[in-house]
Amino acid sequence: MHPRERPTTRRQFLIRAGAVVGTLSGADALLSACGGSAKSGAVVPPTTGTLLGPGGIPLARASHPVTLKRWEDPIASGLKPETGGTFTIFNYPAYIDPAVIKAFGKKYGVTVKVTPFDNIATGVTKLASGTVSPDVMEMTPDQLPRVVAGKLVKPLNLDYIPNLKNVWPSFQSPYYDVGSRYGVPYTVYSTGIAYRTDRVKEDIPNLKPNPWDIFWHSQKYTGKVALLSEERETIAMALLHRGIKDINTEDPKLVNQAVNDLQELYKICSIKVGDLQYENVPEDKAWLNQAWSGDMLAGYLYYLPNKQTGKLLRFWNPGYGNGPIGNDMWCVCSTTKKPVLAHLFLNYMLDNGVGYKNFVDFNGYQPPFNEIQPESLIKKGVIPETLASSVLTESDFGPKSLVEAGLTNAGESLWQNGYATFTSGA
Amino acid sequence: MYPRWLWPLSAIPGVVWLLLLFLLPLYVVVGVAFGSVDPVLLQPIPAWNPADWNTSWISHVLDQLLPGNVFWDVAVRTCEYVGLSLAGCILIGYPVAYFVARHASRTKSMLLILLVLPFWISYLMRMLAWINLLSPGGYGLRFLSATGISSVLFHLGVISDPSNYLGGQSFTVILGLIYGYIPYFILPLYASLDRIDRSHLEAARDLGASPFRAFWHVTVPLSKTGLLGGAVLITLPMFGDYYTPNIVSGAPTTSMIGNQIDLYFHGGPQPTIGAAITILLSAFLMVLMLYYIRTIHRASREIPA
Repeated sequence: MHPRERPTTRRQFLIRAGAVVGTLSGADALLSACGGSAKSGAVVPPTTGTLLGPGGIPLARASHPVTLKRWEDPIASGLKPETGGTFTIFNYPAYIDPAVIKAFGKKYGVTVKVTPFDNIATGVTKLASGTVSPDVMEMTPDQLPRVVAGKLVKPLNLDYIPNLKNVWPSFQSPYYDVGSRYGVPYTVYSTGIAYRTDRVKEDIPNLKPNPWDIFWHSQKYTGKVALLSEERETIAMALLHRGIKDINTEDPKLVNQAVNDLQELYKICSIKVGDLQYENVPEDKAWLNQAWSGDMLAGYLYYLPNKQTGKLLRFWNPGYGNGPIGNDMWCVCSTTKKPVLAHLFLNYMLDNGVGYKNFVDFNGYQPPFNEIQPESLIKKGVIPETLASSVLTESDFGPKSLVEAGLTNAGESLWQNGYATFTSGA
Repeated sequence: MYPRWLWPLSAIPGVVWLLLLFLLPLYVVVGVAFGSVDPVLLQPIPAWNPADWNTSWISHVLDQLLPGNVFWDVAVRTCEYVGLSLAGCILIGYPVAYFVARHASRTKSMLLILLVLPFWISYLMRMLAWINLLSPGGYGLRFLSATGISSVLFHLGVISDPSNYLGGQSFTVILGLIYGYIPYFILPLYASLDRIDRSHLEAARDLGASPFRAFWHVTVPLSKTGLLGGAVLITLPMFGDYYTPNIVSGAPTTSMIGNQIDLYFHGGPQPTIGAAITILLSAFLMVLMLYYIRTIHRASREIPA
């Protein structure tokens, strides 16, 4: 044996293994932090609290429409779509019908790949860091100024998207992107309460003074009550419980009061947070759950243990001006190597047949199509009458609708810290 | 005869691996924790040069870790959960490891395979299995009710609702942690127990020690390194765990410090806070590691290998 050749003893091995494991115990966080580096190279400015968003873009409100400046010219009209290779869709997992995207790939001779993200903010972070290079990305209006200011999405040439005429007029030129310069709508939804009539006996839609109060009177449903795991939704719900309709407030007093109210729910009902309401309510794991309108439709269509349970499901839709309402959209990413095809994908998703199939055959979230009305869905037997309130109409949107719009950076920090306080269980 | 440089050379892959996948990422997190954030894209801007470090995020998190502030409760809860889970692993794992090492003869190979079996299934899948087991009508829930275990746990105040283990109960999170990590505890402990020279025990018995005294004064000290090694292997990752409470509970009142890190790294304008919590957690774990190394070194001196 060589003098330097000393076998590792068991103890030494354990010591060293322990040391390695110890230092690696935070590896998840370490690696996730390595995801990217800043592109613009700017330093942190003190946020002003004014209604200016990223890059000085005014923050849109339903009452204050914003026309976004094009940072480059859109692609020329009349170009042929690119073929071959892979076409990447960057969106929420299980939020688009695989059959729909397969048909798109077949139609244009490309392999379609879906790259999922956890939420839009995380998706934007990944896109900005360059760790993904998608062709199209799902977006929300509140994040749109950020991706436009960061030049992460391309201006659109609407000549390629004639199907935009199929959507409600208010979404052909929405307040957050007048002229549809950067995106087209995908789905619409409202935030309300999903519940089961066999478990929850209160008549939630007619609760006075405020149906949102049900969460603060849910002792008897302890362990079966949940909120969405979204900071904007949970804090907005607590604001609405207090009768405050400014769900984009950046007033620390109001946000902190909302957080305090949410913390009361620990003792009242051992409140839970999560995003599986479309599954948990039909499967009896949750009885009272803050939810999006599409959740109960998806739950009815796909997660019912039996059809009888379908009659027990309800969704309280707060109605115009009384509860959060919103929409998702599609944008063409700056990273695309297939800009023409990306435009055609947006057009494809706005096709009446494709959008309807995606809605009723898969995700339960409706596109804002003129053709889709609650009455027709009930008549066709697609949904039961008891869930008619889950289907929105254009009249649900308007200048007085409550939209979770973009915040200043200071506002985002305020809301994030508030949500962290709530989820810490403190 | 091998050349002198051969064996040091064999360490290069490990060293490179550590440099690239541990030290470099660690420094990136340090840079993020002491850096700033791009106001447009909310991307962290790491401060690579210590002279440029902005300590305000670390100070902020330290302040929030004080009693009464936001991170205090979740930090204390994390320590409680990890401590109780470790105790559970010792109570369950030590007898198992002892039996396999000392009393299983023909079945030893089979038992070892069974101990390794959980590694064949992903941790997340094993946790998700609990959802079905403990759901209404689930076999696990029915078993706990039928055997009276639920009733006993309820009367002892361990659980608040015997029919709803998934309703945000600390017990379920601790159960999940024990279940998820116990294989990592048993295997090093088994290795340690298996290598104890039986002649030590025979000597103790010859000198008049009862079986229990022989176990307590010979087996336990000689298995101390395995015990501590297994404890380190499970407690350190437990401190960073966030998916177990997410899956089996989902209640804020059962969240752990890893959930806060996850939240701040999950988009939004303050990844610096997530990085600062990570650095402080790593520093805390390093203290535990130093204690472990010191104890093992002391044991090495006291007990010949």
